[in-house]
Amino acid sequence: MVEIPTFLWPVIFFGVILGLTWLFSYLAELAIWGIMRQSNPQITVAAQRLGVVIVWLVGTVLAVQELGVSVDILLLVIALLGAAAIIALRQPLENFGAKYFADLYAPFKLGDTIRLGDQTGRVIEINAMSTVILSEDDRLVGLPNSLFLRQSVVNLTPQAWKEVTVPITLPGSVDLATYESDMLKVLSRLRVRLDRRYPPVFTVRSRSAQSTDLVLTVMVRRPEDREPVLAEVNLRLTEAIEKARSGGARASSEGGSDRARPPSTEPASVGRNGP
Amino acid sequence: MGSYSERPWGELHSAQTRQEDDPSAAIERRWGPEFGARPLAAFDPLQGAFLGEGHHMGAVSVCINTQTPLLQFSSTEGGSRPVWEFETDLSKLHEGVDYRFSPGGVTRMVYPLARRLIAEGAWRDVHWVSLNPRAPETVSLPDGITLHNVALDRERLDGYGKAKEAIWTTVHGLAAPRIARDLFWTDDYGEYTYYNRTTAELIRHLDRTADFDIFYIHDFQQLPIGHMLGTLKPKVFRWHIPFDGRRIPAPWRPLLSTYLNSYDVIVVSAERYRASLKSFGHRGRVERLYPYVDPREYGEPTPSEEAAALEKFGISPEDVVALVVARMDPAKRQDRVIEALARLARGFPRLRLVLAGNGSFSGTRGGLGLSKADLWRRHLEATARSRNVADRVVFTGHVSQRELECLYRRCAFTILPSTREGFGLVVVESWLYRKPTVVSRQAGIADLIDDGENGILFDPDRPGGLERAMTRLLRDPGPLRERLGNAGFRTARRCSVDAAVRDETRLLVRVVEN
Repeated sequence: MVEIPTFLWPVIFFGVILGLTWLFSYLAELAIWGIMRQSNPQITVAAQRLGVVIVWLVGTVLAVQELGVSVDILLLVIALLGAAAIIALRQPLENFGAKYFADLYAPFKLGDTIRLGDQTGRVIEINAMSTVILSEDDRLVGLPNSLFLRQSVVNLTPQAWKEVTVPITLPGSVDLATYESDMLKVLSRLRVRLDRRYPPVFTVRSRSAQSTDLVLTVMVRRPEDREPVLAEVNLRLTEAIEKARSGGARASSEGGSDRARPPSTEPASVGRNGP
Repeated sequence: MGSYSERPWGELHSAQTRQEDDPSAAIERRWGPEFGARPLAAFDPLQGAFLGEGHHMGAVSVCINTQTPLLQFSSTEGGSRPVWEFETDLSKLHEGVDYRFSPGGVTRMVYPLARRLIAEGAWRDVHWVSLNPRAPETVSLPDGITLHNVALDRERLDGYGKAKEAIWTTVHGLAAPRIARDLFWTDDYGEYTYYNRTTAELIRHLDRTADFDIFYIHDFQQLPIGHMLGTLKPKVFRWHIPFDGRRIPAPWRPLLSTYLNSYDVIVVSAERYRASLKSFGHRGRVERLYPYVDPREYGEPTPSEEAAALEKFGISPEDVVALVVARMDPAKRQDRVIEALARLARGFPRLRLVLAGNGSFSGTRGGLGLSKADLWRRHLEATARSRNVADRVVFTGHVSQRELECLYRRCAFTILPSTREGFGLVVVESWLYRKPTVVSRQAGIADLIDDGENGILFDPDRPGGLERAMTRLLRDPGPLRERLGNAGFRTARRCSVDAAVRDETRLLVRVVEN
């Protein structure tokens, strides 16, 4: 039996704790996914990320402590810097955070006509800080995003209540054409709840090397159908991404039957809602 | 209907290049000064007018997208590999053997335009994306055009084919309302979208390297592409089929509007379609450009070639030939011509009807594999038998370019009997041979016809209309036919590629320059 030198034990514990941290972060991810399966997938993804960051933060601190390093000062500095940043950047952060939630929950989108306080106009831009509207007298009005969390916004667009928009982030490993086609077939099963004059439409908003941001627009038949339709659509979108991920992996290992699909330098995920 | 030639590509191309050394001379020799090509003028956006001859704008990089591919490659029987799987160098392949040009507007119209504009220096780096399940992934043509072929597996192809057929029949007023109402909620629509998205993704991918100046999308099937591309670059959509807003089902209107609005300009083939698009509520720009052919592609067959073709189709010198050039499709209504023939048979014992053409790309095995053409031909044959005129009707099937020229030369007149027809380029073809023509008022080309002056119009929905129109020509074989043929020949100028080069360039420059 080999005897391990005493000085190596802290290193071994350090490694073991990091290993356990990785395991716990993975389990946390799975647990959050399972718990939030029925809710907005984009919120689920955000919650997963937050959970993983917290597990790694705690794990790293515990692991570093095993090496005999005092982390009290480090934690204090991080906490003070964080507090200073929050105080200094309170307004922009508020707007930025509001934008994130407004994307998911605000009852309007680009092109809609809205009223907030005494300002009325057509939404022509939603950026990280503000929502820009074009007023009837042709003036540009910037409304800080945080206002939408504090005040009531009225969407004046006709039949705006019908429209349900769902932001989706599709990882690069998922083929957009296959995903869209599969989702159209799945959504056609919900047609009894949807306005048949408006088939589901996927619109690509942006692309990056890792993902494609889409928006799915469907129109419900009755106002009371909005929430259940949204929940069902979210669930189906999430399942389709899972299916596409596994299907995509299979297709790439077996070789797909369709040709002329451009090489996927970009990557497929889902988000939720709309007005 | 036909193809360019039976020669290898290399030989064909060099022959065409020689012609293009002096296009005006070549075309005027054959067709007279009215058709002479003129140098491309440049457009001055500041002045809002063309500068005149000798000025050239910078060449634009163009992506063309059509459903129908320019080239269809031969499949092989008996399990051996088709030649295109291992040889994609067209100079080593033979037209008519290894590949052929697709029938219809893609070959007659889009290709000549692209070649001319490349030769004129107005277009460069032309990439052409099409659906082509049995073809190499890319093919480089000597003209400077690169073909990109999109392939789908059989299941997706079937679904796509059914959806696009439902759209086509609805727009043409031939589908039951239920099919239209439910289309967007079927699995077939999923496959239709799959094809369009796959095509859009390919075009987007090509754009990263080619950096296109403009996207030129043809065919109604491709309408979603503009929306799917998600680019702010200029996009032009060519709507080739009829547009009658009253025929668009209510459930389609919002989506159709979304898609139409994703283009900078919609090009239609007749004034009536432009008016209908505006009545439909489309607020974007709509231009009317008549479809066109390149007269240089239409030659004069030798007497021996003509004799051989007529013998092949069993046409005797005494026959009075009424010619219908159209694919085998219910919308083409060849059955009504057979009915008219049956009623006229006794009074005109030498009258024979020649139906030239087979299925479209959609109806061929190498294409979408829809059986529409076969079914329709069987129906027509049965109609001819039941009316006791089977011996008076000739079904030629696919004809080569040369055979088509022989038929145009030999016929007494041509007929376009369609109940709905986007335009009707076959009328222009027959005009090039100075043949009088009987044309349905529902065809887009009817806009160009002054009844009794350069053609005879008839209402396809009025019983006996076609019969009466045919009788006018049969009873007055001399001066009337000659007058109509000559006037038609002059009208054909408005539908020549030379006129189109000017109009298309003006349009594209306006779109690019805004």
